[in-house]
Amino acid sequence: MSEVISTSKLSKRYGSTYSVQDMNLTVREGDIYGFLGPNGAGKSTTLKMILGLAKPTEGKVKVFGKDFAEERRQILDQTGSLIESPSYYGHLTGLENMRVVQRLRRVPDNNVTEALKIVRLDKHKDKKAGQYSLGMKQRLGIAMALVSWPKLLVLDEPTNGLDPAGIGEIRELIKSLPERFGMTVLLSSHLLAEIEQIATSVGIIHQGKLLFQGSMEELQRRSYPMIMIKTADNSRAQRFLAAEGYSPQLFEDRIAFAGLGDEEAAAVNRRLVAANIDVLRIEEHKKNLEHIFLELTGKERSL
Amino acid sequence: MIQLLSLEFYKIRRKRLFLMATLFLGVELAGAFMAVSMSLARHPDQEEWMPLLATLSSMNGLFLPILSAVCVSRISDMEHKGNTWKLLLSVSVRRGQLYLAKYICACVILLGVSLLQIAAAAAFGIGKGLWESFPLGLMVQFMAGTLLTNMVIIALQQWLSLAVKNQAFALCLGMLGGFFGMTGDFFPQAVRQYFIWSNYNGLSPVRQSYVDNAIQFTAIDGGALLPQASILVVLGVVIYIAGSRHISRQDI
Repeated sequence: MSEVISTSKLSKRYGSTYSVQDMNLTVREGDIYGFLGPNGAGKSTTLKMILGLAKPTEGKVKVFGKDFAEERRQILDQTGSLIESPSYYGHLTGLENMRVVQRLRRVPDNNVTEALKIVRLDKHKDKKAGQYSLGMKQRLGIAMALVSWPKLLVLDEPTNGLDPAGIGEIRELIKSLPERFGMTVLLSSHLLAEIEQIATSVGIIHQGKLLFQGSMEELQRRSYPMIMIKTADNSRAQRFLAAEGYSPQLFEDRIAFAGLGDEEAAAVNRRLVAANIDVLRIEEHKKNLEHIFLELTGKERSL
Repeated sequence: MIQLLSLEFYKIRRKRLFLMATLFLGVELAGAFMAVSMSLARHPDQEEWMPLLATLSSMNGLFLPILSAVCVSRISDMEHKGNTWKLLLSVSVRRGQLYLAKYICACVILLGVSLLQIAAAAAFGIGKGLWESFPLGLMVQFMAGTLLTNMVIIALQQWLSLAVKNQAFALCLGMLGGFFGMTGDFFPQAVRQYFIWSNYNGLSPVRQSYVDNAIQFTAIDGGALLPQASILVVLGVVIYIAGSRHISRQDI
């Protein structure tokens, strides 16, 4: 698969602080790339630089293999986007807002009708956009991004303000885009569960730096199970097992083993009992993506 | 460019800008016509067009800076309110072109206002029986001066309206402009030349002066106003280019 977006050492500095630093992001054709990070991590700034809305301090952006600075117009003609809060003219109706984008994109009426239908705004198209709920405004923003059926869709927190049913619909819509229209989707979110359900590739950003980039399977492979054993004397048990060739680690009031199979777990248990160390509990702890994310970003509190 | 300009008019379709501008002009014209009617009644010997044009120039100094500020603010503010800069730039619109489209749109609205004003003034004068002495040259000169001053003020207002989201600043500048436009003639020439708003009077084809406790009106030859008009053109170009560059370089 060819690279639709590639950035090289992309950086953005405000004063002496880097909002984004040395970002090497790669999005491949047909991907739904989940760009994940806590609030203020630099997601929106990165997306703005990719779309030419913010000027990089350093680094380069290539979209469809073309240098953005040189071929801005051709790139943007094939790109739809929704950045941060939805953009709309509050005094115009939903349909009139779509007409504004239609005129700029030079697309037929059919596209407008279809895009409004997809986001379920066809029945509210004659209402002023200023009177829309936040969710409806968000859906109008998505319809505007879709109206030209672009090859690349960049969505920044697209489910913000949507109710659970709306989130589900938008999720299904985004998932269907690569297959239905051959689109590549770059999607940012601070919600891990959302990315987990939609994305095929993931990039995790924290404090302006890309900490992980790869397929969703690759990220999920990191969620290997841990065997936790609680004994009457954990320190002695750790020393004993280390001498027997295992690599146990003390973890709170347990000793932990990574990648231990069922038979090995049984063997460890037998050895501990034989050495007169009482085994109180054996548990399997599977790391979920949230743990991995928190480990990577070092954020233990709310995202 | 034509597409962006037509889009600007499409975007202001529900803002009733023309209606608002017409009503605003109506208030100005009502005041001016009333003043001129009273003056003509008191001084029947002054039955000429000059008092009308002089009064209109003077009142334009008060009303048009405010009207320009309101119109430009309404055209610019819709991009701030709806966060639409991102939308427009991400569909490959150039900021410089959008800036120009907005500028032309505001100029066209104020041109419409000026045309209405001149038509109403002509109708008023003819209604007063001044048909035979219709001063086409003075009218054209009056219109040119008004339009040129409008264009420079619009350039300044647009810069401020697009650079600062809070439109209270732009409207305050408009009101200050109205004050300077009305009182500009009381300042010395060295100071007055920096008040672009005072050019409604400054480029007027009719001068008022008080001689022996009586107002006298003098027609000014267009050629005599050319240096002042040239300075205004240069100032307008500088303000427009500086504003356009500044807005084009701002991060979204």
